[in-house]
Amino acid sequence: MRLWKSWIVTRKDLSVFRKNKYVLYSLIAMPIILGVVLPIIFIFALNTEIGVGTLTHEQVLAAVNQIVGIATMYFVLIPAILPSIIASYSFVGEKIEKSLEPLLATPTTDGELLLGKSLASFIPCMVVTYVGAAISAIIIDVWAITTPQVNIFLIPNPYWALVIGAIAPLACVMSVEANIIVSSKVNDIRAAQQLGGLVVLPLVFVVIFASTSAQLSTWLAIGVITALAIADVALFYLSKATFQREEILTKWK
Amino acid sequence: MIDTNGLTRKFGNLTAVDNVSLHVEDGEVFGFLGPNGAGKTTTVRMLCCLIGKTSGYAKIGDYTIDKESDCLKIRKMVGFLPENVGLYDSLSAYRNLDFYGQLYEVPEAKRRANIERLLTLLGIWERRDDSVGTFSKGTKQKIAIARALIHDPQLLFLDEPTANLDPEASKTVRDFILELKKEKRTIFLNTHNLDEAERLCDRIAILKGKLIAVDSPKNLERSLYNRKTIVHLETMTEDAVAAVKRIGNVKSVRVSENKLILDMDSPEKDNPEVVHAIVEAGGKIQYVTELRSTLEDVYLKLIREASA
Repeated sequence: MRLWKSWIVTRKDLSVFRKNKYVLYSLIAMPIILGVVLPIIFIFALNTEIGVGTLTHEQVLAAVNQIVGIATMYFVLIPAILPSIIASYSFVGEKIEKSLEPLLATPTTDGELLLGKSLASFIPCMVVTYVGAAISAIIIDVWAITTPQVNIFLIPNPYWALVIGAIAPLACVMSVEANIIVSSKVNDIRAAQQLGGLVVLPLVFVVIFASTSAQLSTWLAIGVITALAIADVALFYLSKATFQREEILTKWK
Repeated sequence: MIDTNGLTRKFGNLTAVDNVSLHVEDGEVFGFLGPNGAGKTTTVRMLCCLIGKTSGYAKIGDYTIDKESDCLKIRKMVGFLPENVGLYDSLSAYRNLDFYGQLYEVPEAKRRANIERLLTLLGIWERRDDSVGTFSKGTKQKIAIARALIHDPQLLFLDEPTANLDPEASKTVRDFILELKKEKRTIFLNTHNLDEAERLCDRIAILKGKLIAVDSPKNLERSLYNRKTIVHLETMTEDAVAAVKRIGNVKSVRVSENKLILDMDSPEKDNPEVVHAIVEAGGKIQYVTELRSTLEDVYLKLIREASA
């Protein structure tokens, strides 16, 4: 596989996405909601609890860490949800513009094409995730340092680094691959997004589970990372196996 | 350049392309004529390695369409214009061509030069930075042709290059194809525009699932009625008819009002003798014409026969 060929496809897709207002606004909205609005809600809740003045310093830190843990897990949702918007455009978008036939006529292999498409969805989703996580970390840390009952930097911490550094990108890859498989099989963007959205469900369950149990244990986190990595590799090969040039060319309307 | 033998493609129970055998020479403009659903696009897609064959054999240059490794080489050596232009509307004309130039592995300097040359030739260099979505259908078609040529291929597959274009845009595209013909490129032209095929092609194949005929446009036209001469007389006389019938090379004589319709193998050679005989017999000739069947006549006859 020639990675530079994939990169050509990636760069072209990124240029197309940049010109698509729907995709662009979706990308901008996510970090604002999860990076700014969510921490402010959490801070408001914490201030209310701390303001009562009945909690000890340890109890305050425990409450703060629990809420920061929950907020961190939400950053797995961004890379899981966004690909359903972007990746659904990858092949359906080409179908709509009827640009798939000349693209498939170029000396590019299925693997190169799929990797290029995957990267084009993965890169903006992870950039947005990291921008959102950085904004959220700054807001939380500024609050923590300026709040006398807390007075320490809460982020980064090992749990945050594990979620943002490993689980989020692996979840993103999983979502991207699943959405690309869906996108190469359907002809309609909305259908692609709806079907692609279904793959987010298992990750939503992980977030809900993590929210109720405060944080993932180290072993559970390792288990989640391993499972996601295996799922990612399997989905890439599945997308290669299910990507049929002939079917795409002869069956899409 | 192109060789096929018994090339067949089935979709379930439907045989889209049935046992097609043809040979296209280097530098030839080969027209592929047929009604909608005749299998023209399917044939081109097989030859460009976009879809597989059911049976038979096809070779492009030194490569066969069966092997995946050969397919990459075939895709690299051919230029392909699909029926739908398939450009990226939100990207500029330049960016569209640059993207394909990169995929066809054209070095950067040559890519830039090719884009400039092609867009200048097609009269759109000044608008190179405009989004393709702002262009007319004809201009988009020109850009799509430029895309097919971005890697300077010797073999071009053009699928309905003037479909849906207005007469002016069609002419521009046809003129451009004629320029490519002068450059001795091999062009495989899918069309159901008979006039276009007649003007551009060295040889024409008529397809309706199966290959019905392959020949030059001129030979196809002659194949329908053989060669006939029509002599228009001021007044038809029995002497004139008798004089013509005495000429050995005239195979048959038919009288229609004041016209004599003569069947001959070599009208160029025999017409002077015919004229002389009629004048000698007192006939007054108004003019002499050749009865020609058009490519449309031949096409319709062959397609009807194939459908019967």
